[in-house]
Amino acid sequence: MKKRILALLMAGMLTVGLAACGGETSGETEASGGETAETAGIAAEDLKVGLILVGEAADAYNKNHIEGMQAACEALGLDYDTQVVVKTNIGEDSTCADAIGELIDAGCHAIFADSFGHEQYMVEAAPDYPDIQFCHATGFQSAADDLDNTHNYFAKIYEARYLAGIAAGLKTESNVLGYVAAKPYAEVISGYTAFYLGAKSVNPDVTMLVNYTNEWSDATKEATNAQALIDQGCDVISQHSDTSAPATTAETNGVFAVGYNDDMISVAPNAALVSARINWGAYYEYALNCLLAGEAIDQDWCGSYAEGACYLSDLNEAIIADGTKEAIEAAAAGIADGSVQVFAGPLYGVNADGEELNLAEGEFYAENENSSAPSFAYIVDGITVLS
Amino acid sequence: MNNLINFLTAGILAAAPLLFGVLGELLTEKSGNLNLGVEGMMFMGGIAGIVGPYYYEKAGGTNPYVALVIALVCALVCAGLGALVFSVLTITLRANQNVTGLALTMFGTGFGNYFGEAIGHADPSGFLSVSASVKSLFNSPVFPAPLVNLPVVGKLLFSHNFMVYLAVILAIILAYFLGRTRTGLNLRSVGESPATADAAGISVTKYRYLATIIGGAMTGLGGLYLVMNAGAGVGGAWVHNCINGYGWLAVALVIFAVWSPTRALWCSLIFGGLACMRYYYPISFIPASIYDIVPYIVTAVVLVFVSLKHSRSNQPPESLGLSYFREER
Repeated sequence: MKKRILALLMAGMLTVGLAACGGETSGETEASGGETAETAGIAAEDLKVGLILVGEAADAYNKNHIEGMQAACEALGLDYDTQVVVKTNIGEDSTCADAIGELIDAGCHAIFADSFGHEQYMVEAAPDYPDIQFCHATGFQSAADDLDNTHNYFAKIYEARYLAGIAAGLKTESNVLGYVAAKPYAEVISGYTAFYLGAKSVNPDVTMLVNYTNEWSDATKEATNAQALIDQGCDVISQHSDTSAPATTAETNGVFAVGYNDDMISVAPNAALVSARINWGAYYEYALNCLLAGEAIDQDWCGSYAEGACYLSDLNEAIIADGTKEAIEAAAAGIADGSVQVFAGPLYGVNADGEELNLAEGEFYAENENSSAPSFAYIVDGITVLS
Repeated sequence: MNNLINFLTAGILAAAPLLFGVLGELLTEKSGNLNLGVEGMMFMGGIAGIVGPYYYEKAGGTNPYVALVIALVCALVCAGLGALVFSVLTITLRANQNVTGLALTMFGTGFGNYFGEAIGHADPSGFLSVSASVKSLFNSPVFPAPLVNLPVVGKLLFSHNFMVYLAVILAIILAYFLGRTRTGLNLRSVGESPATADAAGISVTKYRYLATIIGGAMTGLGGLYLVMNAGAGVGGAWVHNCINGYGWLAVALVIFAVWSPTRALWCSLIFGGLACMRYYYPISFIPASIYDIVPYIVTAVVLVFVSLKHSRSNQPPESLGLSYFREER
């Protein structure tokens, strides 16, 4: 008998562990009734939206979405706790379809999803629910499909990356930058090219090495990757990956880091120069406002640095090079008035299909011209992709 | 040449956490217990190993040496507790070892991530991390600068952090213990044939408990390494899912090393080297995912050869994975 009780206890402990692994759903999930067929806007107190997050609420990428939604709710006088239904740990698989179904059942007027692979499930559900708005971050299909209720949104993060690159270009002494990249997609390539061109704008001698981890988030691989870059002479490491491992690795090796998604100064105070970040709140406020006013949401929305859709975290004053702040401000003003173009000629590059890009002086590549998802996928001169 | 030295150094740094895991699991398996919860115990050791010094520093502690001792003790105890749960279930209650081990992995993963997220989220900075002095204590070379600065050998042999040497020393101690001491012989007999050991007056229960708990605690050091040490690990901060398969690699490595602590030394070096090889010697036509599965392929091949060869010494413990029922002798 004693043994049985002990066994039950032990099993109970392990079950608690299992529960901690599993997905969590916060906010209200029960249906609120009320059909949605209005065109004249939704009363603020009736509005209900769903937010689908690819991972934990606490990791940097998803946290930014939550904080953006909270800020938008506050600005519009909505109650985040009762009017936003958040689904965390929704993978890029059929769990996403389930989550969308639950959010529809819960009476949401709009559903927002934050990961690239969620898009197909959004597009599948959209035709059956024409009155519900399906808004997808980082996707690209909305501009091309015939559905009025699908939308894509992103920010011109390459502008912020370009400005962050200025901090790196002024700081480097070896004139070799390193970049821990996630996957060889346009979103990543566009980002690191902008970062490199920003550095080059203030330091013409700079070159950059890029290593892919092939994971969005994998701390040990990012650390090994960053270590390899540092071993090969890089003295400023930047990243398009989710964890703080590149920054901490840079700090232990006595070199510098430029972050993404999260302010890394507190985790690597002697290495983190600045981070390029997206402010999702800018879009959420815009989209929720459209719903309240009964206006159509843009099919494809891409906020700029000047609009505050992306920004730089506070500069680490203790370690940045002299003149960094002024150089960034000047470039930011140039980007805002169009006198500075990020992907400006002379620029030569080749993409994975062997297509060449050859921009002469005065020409530039217009990123985000056709869709909010980045499209620049050329490896330009000065950047070496190692693996 | 420089690149080769850098590559080998990175390989050694990546091998150390694996070595802790392998040695712990090896000790456990030598007693006949197959604990598949290495991944979970690494998570438990890792999270406890950073939460300990984190709260020590929050409470106003500034001595990095005290923080280091706290980290080591917390990692050992927490991972050891995971192994204790496993031991009670499998040794006393004779539950199925595979199922219990898998449950321990899930438990430990959830345990680590849950507390890592919760504490990090509650911190004003948003990160669960330790101060620079603790980070540097974990990461700086133990040997004096003149040795570290020697050409070639300085970086290869003397530039590492104390955890690397601790892992190597543990391997040597374990090899001596298993091969040269009476207690080690007793332990091996428990793993080979518990009934015979029992008849010879060796307490099967005691040996299995101790080996499993001490082995589990050692794997916890591997988790601590991945959290605290840079190069292969995060370097002083908690990151969601940071153990990420290292525990499973360790389980595979025990087979690759054919249950020998000395072989585990160079086997983990090979696995560590494979983990970072593509960043130093990229081969353009081999996709990165191939590098990632090589360790598992190698393990499968070794397993095939071991069972084909039927060598008397290079075999898994005879009763590995089996619970011992005294009444069934």
